[in-house]
Amino acid sequence: MGREVSESCVESLVTEIVSSYCNGFYADKPELAARRIEAIGFQVGHQLSERYTMDRPRFTDHLEAIKFICKDFWSEVFKKQIDNLKTNHRGTFVLQDNRFRWLSRMSVDPSIETLGSIQDPSAMAENKAAQAIGMHLYFPCGIIRGALSNLGIPCAVSADISNLPACSFVIRIKA
Amino acid sequence: MIVCVAVVGHQNNPLYIQSFTEADDVLKLHHIVHCSLDVVDERVNNPKKSSPTLNETFLGLLYPTENYKVYGYLTNTKVKLILVTTDLDVRDADVRNFFRKFHAAYVDAVSNPFHVPGKKITSRTFAERVSTIVKSFGLSSAS
Repeated sequence: MGREVSESCVESLVTEIVSSYCNGFYADKPELAARRIEAIGFQVGHQLSERYTMDRPRFTDHLEAIKFICKDFWSEVFKKQIDNLKTNHRGTFVLQDNRFRWLSRMSVDPSIETLGSIQDPSAMAENKAAQAIGMHLYFPCGIIRGALSNLGIPCAVSADISNLPACSFVIRIKA
Repeated sequence: MIVCVAVVGHQNNPLYIQSFTEADDVLKLHHIVHCSLDVVDERVNNPKKSSPTLNETFLGLLYPTENYKVYGYLTNTKVKLILVTTDLDVRDADVRNFFRKFHAAYVDAVSNPFHVPGKKITSRTFAERVSTIVKSFGLSSAS
């Protein structure tokens, strides 16, 4: 029973969630908006992990669960696998996606980029753009956290943007 | 005949428990389900290393009592599915098949955005679906 979801609808919905939380409900409290968006992602990840782990044997350790997130889970959600997985073997994992689907349609205002960061106002604008992109990454962070905590791995997830559309997710497992 | 099925959360909290008997033995069945949770824990924490079925979701026959056989299934998300039956000769394949359908029904039920994770499953659709699965249990082997 393969049910399909229109990709552009999902993308628009995510963008709309972010903009209505950031500019509507919590316009003056970006931290609170981020928390709410992350919480929605958490629930989505929680439910998706239930479904996608249905026909597989149980995971024996953390690495196996993280690998599942990188391969099967990511392909189900984003139609590609994570490009690079790094770990320090002490509970921190870095998942790098060189072409993150939800950022692939995003661009930074070119007038800002060409000006360089010498002038103060443009640096501020660039900073603002990074912040706006960061807002869009709370949802996928929540998805990862929800999926992992449903698999019995409590963790904290944050995201880093290097250069669009690449980004990396840092997972810190709580001991 | 299946007399009782149960879904138990990862903290051993009951999410759904339903008996299918006419007689007044609900408490007894709940007790059996409760006892089976210890067996599930034991199986998971002390797995037989040689066993090829290591980490399989289907745990097999948990323990036989005088009148019942209890089967268990543990999902990746540490949710336990328990089946109590009075049939004496049950085919493994039938039980596996049952659990697969039961698990699918559970996943659909918790994917409901109005379902609160960790709370009891109150969905009527889920209850109906489970009772259909229970009724169809073992029919394929009879024919």
